[in-house]
Formats: sequence, C-alpha cells, structure tokens
Amino acid sequence: MKPMAEATPVVEMRNIKKSFAAVRALRGVDLVLRHNEVLGLVGDNAAGKSTLMKVLSGAYIPDEGEIFIEGKKAHIIDPMDARRLGIEMVYQDFALANNLDVAANVFLGHEAVRAQLGPIGVMDKRHMEQETQRLLNRLKIDISSVRLKVESLSGGQRQSVAIARATAFNAKVIIMDEPTASLSVAAIGKVLDLVRELKAQGCSIIVISHRLEDIYAVSDRMMVLRHGRKVCDCPVAGDIHEFHERVVAYIIGARDDFAERAVD
Amino acid sequence: MTLPSEQLTDARERRVKVSLIKNAQKVLQQNIREYGMYIAFFVIIAIFTITTNGLFISSRNIVNLLNATSYIAVLAVGMTLVIVIRHIDLSVGFLAGFLGAIAAIALKYWGLPVYAAIPLVLALGVVAGLVTAFLVAQMKIPAFVATLAGWLGYRGALQLATMGTGTIIISDEVFNAIGNGFIPDIFPPDTGLLPGVHKLTLILGLLAIILFVIGEINGRRKTQAYNFEVLPMDMFILKLVFVSALVGGITWVLAGYQGLSWATVVLLIVVSIYYFMTSETVLGRHIYAVGGNPEAAELSGISVKRITYVVFGSMGMLSALSGILYASWLRSATTIAGNLFELDAIAAAFVGGVSAAGGVGKVVGAIIGALVMASLTNGMNLMGIDISLQYIVRAAVLAAAVIFDVTTRSRGR
Repeated sequence: MKPMAEATPVVEMRNIKKSFAAVRALRGVDLVLRHNEVLGLVGDNAAGKSTLMKVLSGAYIPDEGEIFIEGKKAHIIDPMDARRLGIEMVYQDFALANNLDVAANVFLGHEAVRAQLGPIGVMDKRHMEQETQRLLNRLKIDISSVRLKVESLSGGQRQSVAIARATAFNAKVIIMDEPTASLSVAAIGKVLDLVRELKAQGCSIIVISHRLEDIYAVSDRMMVLRHGRKVCDCPVAGDIHEFHERVVAYIIGARDDFAERAVD
Repeated sequence: MTLPSEQLTDARERRVKVSLIKNAQKVLQQNIREYGMYIAFFVIIAIFTITTNGLFISSRNIVNLLNATSYIAVLAVGMTLVIVIRHIDLSVGFLAGFLGAIAAIALKYWGLPVYAAIPLVLALGVVAGLVTAFLVAQMKIPAFVATLAGWLGYRGALQLATMGTGTIIISDEVFNAIGNGFIPDIFPPDTGLLPGVHKLTLILGLLAIILFVIGEINGRRKTQAYNFEVLPMDMFILKLVFVSALVGGITWVLAGYQGLSWATVVLLIVVSIYYFMTSETVLGRHIYAVGGNPEAAELSGISVKRITYVVFGSMGMLSALSGILYASWLRSATTIAGNLFELDAIAAAFVGGVSAAGGVGKVVGAIIGALVMASLTNGMNLMGIDISLQYIVRAAVLAAAVIFDVTTRSRGR
C-alpha cells in the first residue's frame, strides 16, 4: 500500500451547488472518494444523486464549488474533459448502440486505426476484437462472442458490456447510475460480482442505487443525500437489517448528521 | 451383406452429408435476412428467364438492365445511409434532374470541357447536400419536411434551367459514353480464341474472382490466427464457389455483348468505395452508431451533427452522379428528369434490407434492391404485362421484402 496515494483522495468535490431555475438541486455538497474504494450514493428521488454525478462526469456545470482529482483542481465542462481525467460514467439506460456488436460498442469513439486515409481512419477490427475478448476475460464477463450484436444480449450482459466499456480505457473512477435497475435477480448477482472484481483490480467506484441491499453488498462507505444536502457519510458496517433501518431513517429525514450546516 | 470397411465409408459419408446440411441450416438461419434477398433475386431472375424464353438473361438485355439501374442504384446507396441515420431525403430526384440539366448547360452553353463540367456538378451536389444537412442538423427541421421543400425547390429550379430551351440535347461524345458506352477491348473482337467475346471484360472478371478468393482465404487465415470463429470449411468453400460462379456468370453474359458498360463501371466503383467506407472505416462505424443510438454515440464523443453533414453531403454528390448518368443515358437533359427517382431509390433501399428504425442496412443490399426493382420492370415489360399490373406487383414485392425483414428481425432477438 502506498501511503501517499491513501492520503490524497481520487475525487474530492467541495461545496457543490447547482440550481435549475427555482429548484435548488444541490445545496453545497461535499464528496470524497478514496483510492480503491466503493462509495454507495443513496437518496430518495430528486435528492440530487444523479445531478451530483452529472456534475462530476461533465454533463452539468456546477453554479459553485470545486472539484479536485488526485489533489489537483479540475475544470470539467463537458464529458470529454471528465473522460480525459479518467472519470467514466455508466448510464442507467446502458447507452449502447444495440445494432453494433460487443467489440464495436466497447471501442465506440476510441476505434483502433491501422491506416489513415486523409481524415478517414481504417479500423483495425481484429485488434479491437482481441482486446475486447481480453477485457471480458479479465472481468470474468460471460459472453460467448465479442461479435454478438448487443441487441441479442440479455439485460445483465448489456450492463456488463456497458461497465466493461467504461473500464476499457484505464478509467480511475467509474460512476454507475442504478446499475442493477431493471435486471433479473441472477443478473444483479453478476453485476455485483463485476463491481467487486473491478475493486479487486484497483478501481475506485461510485454506485448510485435505490436497492439498499446492493449498496450493502458492495460498498465500503455510503453517502445519503436528501433535498440536495448530504445527511450521512459513514462506513457500511453491521447487520443488514440494522443498516437498512438506519439508511431509511436518513432518507426520510428522521436522522441528519449534518443538520448544523443546514443554514437554509 | 456389406464389408465392415464399406460400412465405415458409408457412415462417414452420411456424417459428412449431415454436417453439410446442418452447417448450411445454421449459416442460413444466422444470416437469413441477408441471404433471403439474394435468394429472392435469383428466384426473380429464374422466373423471368423461363417466362421470356431466355430473353431476360440475354447479354443485350442484361447490359440494358444494368445501365437503366445505375442511376437509381447510386441514389439507393446514398439513401441507405440517410435512412440508417434515421432521416429521409425526398429531394434527390429533382436534384439529380436539376444537376443533370446544369451539366448539359455547362457543356453546351458555357463551353466547359467534360472533365471540368463533371467535377463542377458533383461539387454542386455536395453543396446541395450540405444545405439539406444544415436544415436538418442545425435548424432541427425534420428531414421529411426539409427535403420536401428541396423536392419543390429543385423541381422549380429544373424548370427554370430548361425554360428557354426545353430539352437540351447533349452532343459531347465523352459525356454520352458514360451512360451508353462500353470499356474498350484490348484485343480486336474477332481475333484469338473467342471471337465476338469481349476479352478485357473476361480478364477483369477473372481478376475480380482471383482477388476475391485470395482476399477471403487471407482473411480467414488471419481471423483463425486470432482464435475467432470462422465459417465452417464446407460453407466457406460453398461461399467461394457461389460468389465466383455468380461473378463469372455475369462476366460471361456481359462479355457476350459489348462488354462492361461505363455506367456499370461507375456503379462498381461507387459500391466498392461505399462498401469499404461503411464496413472498414471509423467514419462508417460512427454512421451506424448514430443510427443505432444517437445519445450513446454523442456520449462516446461522436458528433451526430458532423455525421449528418457527411451523410447528406454524400447523398448530394450521389444525386449529382445520378443526374449525370441519366442525362448521359438519354443524351439530353429533359424538363421532367428525376421525377420519382427518390421513391424508386427509397423502395430499393427498403427491398435491400434497410430498417426505418435506423442503424441497419448495407450498401450492397441497396444495389441488390435496385436490381430487384429494375428486373421486375424489365422482366414484366418483356412479358408484355400491363403497366398498371406492374405497379401492383412491385408494390407486393416491396411490402413482402419489408414484412420478411421485420419478422426475421423480431425472431432473431
């Protein structure tokens, strides 16, 4: 373990504020993600989870606040900025092109090129297929061929492809927005295994989920948002029933660890 | 009683046969959408060959058929890509007619040489396509409406361009050769082994077969070296034999008349370029990605706007090419040139397997689709079938092609 890396968080967001017209979606949220940590992000609908993550991934520009990536101040104004900094987001609706095969989706926007004809690159398809196969093997994702079209895959397999795609280009931070929503029980198990596998391989991950048992299963720490404010930031520990009760209390507003900071 | 060794060979033979049929079934099932179109095309050719006592398949008819298909086929190639990115272009017919008239005027009244007139018209086509793209991508006007405006506008422009003169007769021999001429033969026609046969066409056909076989074998070897799945050996050989026989057959038929026509050469060049572009380049992949899921493409850093400009720009250029082919074929620019080309091109694209939902459709399919539709017209004309019935038959084929496509797609899921 490297003590220096331990000390500096991968991501630090300070006092993030964001409003949409009259609606104050984020009222000064702090977030810390440490190296090789899985952070669960929980909250009711409209609590600000997705908004916070869209700020981090460059989809929204915050009204106020600062973001530090590995201790350095970052200016993220579009998704490509975030990607360059090693932040990848896995969207809830998978964001895959169903008409293309697995390898094409993994490399979409990053195609390997073997020759350049003026502005047009000639793809190195075999290289991309081979690399994709290697990636699937590394993450223990069970898909029979990288040439299968995404439309022929199951929901769980699609989610795995979406996650594999996010990790393919040395992402430091992977944000997953409801990775287990709309999946079967068996598929949820596989996706959670994949999250553990990524952690084992050194990734830092933020998981947004409504399913508290999933957060409990994979997270090291969790954060609860309520009405655009952080109300809880604590390690995931203890018995699942006790955990569940505690989290629900935060979500509905019965408990609040940061009440003194709620000036407005 | 049979000897044990005989029984063994028997069993082995049976096993080989069974595996051949199984492999064929598997390959056919996996690719039913793609192969269905080729099978349908063959059935149509066979039916017309029988009903016209071989007149349909005669060299002269096939050459005419190809020349008459070329100007729709190039439009169908561009239209396929437009439909792949979930748009439509209704303006291409009259744009082709208008640009054909511009070509005629440039040659006849502006005194431009043919080598300047053609690039000029192609460039104007690109500009027209970019204007459409601007309306669609920048102004967010639905393509149907934007190109309907184009349809009206170019129709007016065509009438304006031909108002003073009426039909413009083109006398430039080089220009007219594009739609009517044939590639020259390297040997005089009645010397050597095969008198009356176009040797250069035969040589080119043979060359195409050799290049295809070598390319396929190399590709297979490389794919295997990377441990990826390839066609079973028997199916692979069957494919090689089938395609070689097809190319060989067409070459033989063409060589029996005057050889390869320039219009066919133009069509082959367009298909080759677009096939390569769509299947091998990053640009091609991005076009299909935008068609499959525009949001996902945008999130992956692909500019949907840029792809829209490229696709409509290419459509405009192909419209210009279509106009040139048509004007050259008729040796003149008429006041109604291009009428209904757009609908023929759209029909060809759909028969060729493009999906209105976007993201699906190949350029080779568009060519086959155009050939199917043109063969129907040509064959029914040879049979002397009434024109009104012809429309109904073509309607049925178009509907059947799309129904087949939709049902095989939903089953494939």
